[in-house]
Amino acid sequence: MSRQAGRGTESKKMSSELFTLTYGALVTQLCKDYENDEDVNKQLDKMGYNIGVRLIEDFLARSNVGRCHDFRETADVIAKVAFKMYLGITPSITNWSPAGDEFSLILENNPLVDFVELPDNHSSLIYSNLLCGVLRGALEMVQMAVDVKFVQDTLKGDGVTEIRMKFVRRIEDNLPAGEE
Amino acid sequence: MAVCVAVIAKENYPLYIRSIPTENELKFHYTVHTSLDVVDEKISAMGKALVDQRELYLGLLYPTEDYKVYGYVTNSKVKFVMVVDSSNTALRDNEIRSMFRKLHNSYTDVMCNPFYNPGDCIHSRAFDNMVTSMMMQVC
Repeated sequence: MSRQAGRGTESKKMSSELFTLTYGALVTQLCKDYENDEDVNKQLDKMGYNIGVRLIEDFLARSNVGRCHDFRETADVIAKVAFKMYLGITPSITNWSPAGDEFSLILENNPLVDFVELPDNHSSLIYSNLLCGVLRGALEMVQMAVDVKFVQDTLKGDGVTEIRMKFVRRIEDNLPAGEE
Repeated sequence: MAVCVAVIAKENYPLYIRSIPTENELKFHYTVHTSLDVVDEKISAMGKALVDQRELYLGLLYPTEDYKVYGYVTNSKVKFVMVVDSSNTALRDNEIRSMFRKLHNSYTDVMCNPFYNPGDCIHSRAFDNMVTSMMMQVC
């Protein structure tokens, strides 16, 4: 596949409806293919992981951010640069744990869930679970093992969407990147 | 304001129908059903002109003793029918038009929900709330 010319630091625009509907089609297809919601959640996470390990290269190439010195800096970069670049939103960072290894990203509006209403028979589906996988995959490529999960979701009737991220450990350079 | 709101599929079966005095539900079903003939008539009579002007609002379909029935048809031939109390004379054509537009927008959102299969009955909280607000406004 030939690379598109002129791939610079500028972000390309695309219709948000197209994006939202494409993601919706993906999730509903998974719901048809798998029997229960847990499997769908797992699959979404896996797909996100595979996106994340690739996306990080694109992100580092385009954003020109340097190495982060601590987890707080990482959090800032994720919220202010990465989310802005790929989803066009800037989540806020709150609820730091005292040890500084755990924080929450609060998304006031989640572009993935425009139009979506969860039907009653999918109450345990984590619709945007792909994002968790993306974050986990991307950070793994920069030697950070993290635990990412949704703790609040507007689809489930919460006021905001909250993603909780927990730093687990540094991955040593000489180890092969996690096998999933 | 409105006493009954209905969304009718292209093939003329109901996707959604709700009326406010629930004890008289069947009567409204009949009213809406009868109105479909008028809708068809209007579409075929001025079909060409409507398409040219992109005018989706069909106007007053017919008045009965107690109610007025208004219609609206989308470009994909989905029909919206609204029954309004005729004692409510304050209601102007423009307001009806904007109510239909609101209904149309809300219907579009329902269609965009990936869990909704086109052609199914509408079971959406957001749509329900919107219809309720339209029915509550003045009543």
